[in-house]
Amino acid sequence: MKMQFDLLFEAFGKVMFHPINFFFVFIGVTAGIIVGALPGLTATMGVALLIPFTFGMDPVQGLLMLLGLFSGGIYGGSISAILIGIPGTPAAAATVLDGHIMGKKGLAGKAIGMATIASFFGGTIGALIMTFCSPQLAKIALKFGPPEFFALAFFGLGIIITVSGKSILKGLISGIFGLMITMIGFDPLSGAPRLTFGSIELLGGITFIPALIGLFGYSQVFQGIEKILTLPSIKSEVKNIIPKLREIKSVFKTMVKSAGIGTFIGAVPGTGCDVAAFVSYGEARRSSKHPEKFGTGILEGVAAPETGNNAATGGAMIPMLTLGVPGDAVTAVLMGALTIHNFQPGPMLFRDHPEMVYPIFAGMILAQFVMLGVGLGGMRFFARIINIDRRVLTPIIFLLCVVGSYVMRFSFFDVGVSLVIGIIAYFMNYYGFPGSPILLALILGPMVEQNLRRSLIISHGDPMIFITRPISAAFIIIGIFVIITSYYRIKKAMEREEQMASVAEKEKID
Amino acid sequence: MVKKEDIGIGVGLLILSIWLFWYVGRYKPKEIYIYGPDFFPRILAVMMCILALGLIINALLGNSLKMGDRIDPKGFGRMLISIGICIGYLFLTTILGFATATFAFLFILMTFLKQRGILIRIFGSMATSVIVWAIFRYFLIIPLPEGWLF
Repeated sequence: MKMQFDLLFEAFGKVMFHPINFFFVFIGVTAGIIVGALPGLTATMGVALLIPFTFGMDPVQGLLMLLGLFSGGIYGGSISAILIGIPGTPAAAATVLDGHIMGKKGLAGKAIGMATIASFFGGTIGALIMTFCSPQLAKIALKFGPPEFFALAFFGLGIIITVSGKSILKGLISGIFGLMITMIGFDPLSGAPRLTFGSIELLGGITFIPALIGLFGYSQVFQGIEKILTLPSIKSEVKNIIPKLREIKSVFKTMVKSAGIGTFIGAVPGTGCDVAAFVSYGEARRSSKHPEKFGTGILEGVAAPETGNNAATGGAMIPMLTLGVPGDAVTAVLMGALTIHNFQPGPMLFRDHPEMVYPIFAGMILAQFVMLGVGLGGMRFFARIINIDRRVLTPIIFLLCVVGSYVMRFSFFDVGVSLVIGIIAYFMNYYGFPGSPILLALILGPMVEQNLRRSLIISHGDPMIFITRPISAAFIIIGIFVIITSYYRIKKAMEREEQMASVAEKEKID
Repeated sequence: MVKKEDIGIGVGLLILSIWLFWYVGRYKPKEIYIYGPDFFPRILAVMMCILALGLIINALLGNSLKMGDRIDPKGFGRMLISIGICIGYLFLTTILGFATATFAFLFILMTFLKQRGILIRIFGSMATSVIVWAIFRYFLIIPLPEGWLF
């Protein structure tokens, strides 16, 4: 499929210079940021709920609004991740690691500014790659079979080590615990119920969003309630919203790398913005000269995941548009939107309806600029939320956790599960077990198990299938490389920290 | 102190992994599913067993990391009571309806957390419950629990 540049330029002109199209993108982006910023409300849910509103609209305008919501929703999750330590969407879970620490230090404005710029950069790169490389990138993803998906998941789980904080052993335990949680419910291959103990509610397994809210929402709320009478109030700084040019320059290389990683991962069907965010963060930490600084509140720790997750929005559109296979949950819903308007996603869409395809390309790029404007312009307003009295804010966040865990399936059972996971995560925080590996395991667990078993069935039990297939072998080798180098880097960094601490102690005594 | 806790957690995880390995044995694989429902859980059980032993040995060798903060007993009690208030709230939503129960929940919780301004508590609770209810009812069109009131 060749790029038709005349249609592309016409689409850019139509989308960017017609006020009504701009208006719908603006509505979509603003709604997306609000939905994304509220824990428990995801971009997927937002897009699904907005689709009926597009029935009576021109298909292009309707899609532009949905694309705006998609981009805004993925970015919006970073706002609550930074301000209150709860990712608004799964894609922002990695942003919590450094973003919320910056928020606690009173640098929420700068963190959100960096997240906005990084999201804009990643989203634009992802949209541009989507525009010019769709057919070529989709060709590689077509070759993925079960061994490649397993190897990709193995690589992703290797990232667990890089987000494990100070104890790799405890990080691995958290990861395995997370994988165990994914065993609950129907077995994906045979359909047999597992570990349900006769409960109908557990047949569907532990739903991801309630687990996410439990890990990052309730645990924070419980810690907040525990310490509410002793913690000093923090006034977040809303000055220095836009990071200095030299600060942006210092993370530029990371952003470029994360944009590439995010777009590629987004283009692989079945993965998504959340995987892209963690892989980008893990790679940034692994390749950093100071990996020990990640997790202490640094701009690079915000830039990497936010660039990755927004780049993945463009990447996820590639298989959806060119193959008719969704890149992630949101694009699966977007496929429904296209179908409702009588357009069938896939290679025929390029051939028969280029008037739909090229405005999508233009709309995704426009959405990034609108997101930049709304994000930077509305940032002071968002940053003020953290100045609200904790005795008022904590109950409101508690409420949002309850509502967020309820609305996925309208189930009080999910609220209960979320509360239980929250209590477990609360204790885990105190005993040095990080929550992020559990989250990563929840995302990748089903992919690991299904594709491992499928691959072994295909190969009649021969594990060499993962090595003899080149793409699979490449992911496994890279995964092992990541594990080994990350282990030594983290160990070195911890030894350096201990040395500095003992020197400081000695100087104190002297 | 940390050493004892790591040993305790390690023993707990060891028991969990042994139990899991045994329990999933009931999901016997059928002929065409050699790698049946028990396959992956057993791999995980073995891995967890190894890691749990590693944690115990690490603790016995004195390599446990220092704990940072400690749990404040009064704060922990406050947390448990808050969870109790939440459970009461969930029960109330089905009786009174979402918005009314939410107002009561927020007001009670803010009062419990010693927010002194009565007006802030009343208006804050009311505004939040109305805004959240309205967003879900009119913007997102997601049904919330209904009861005698709204």
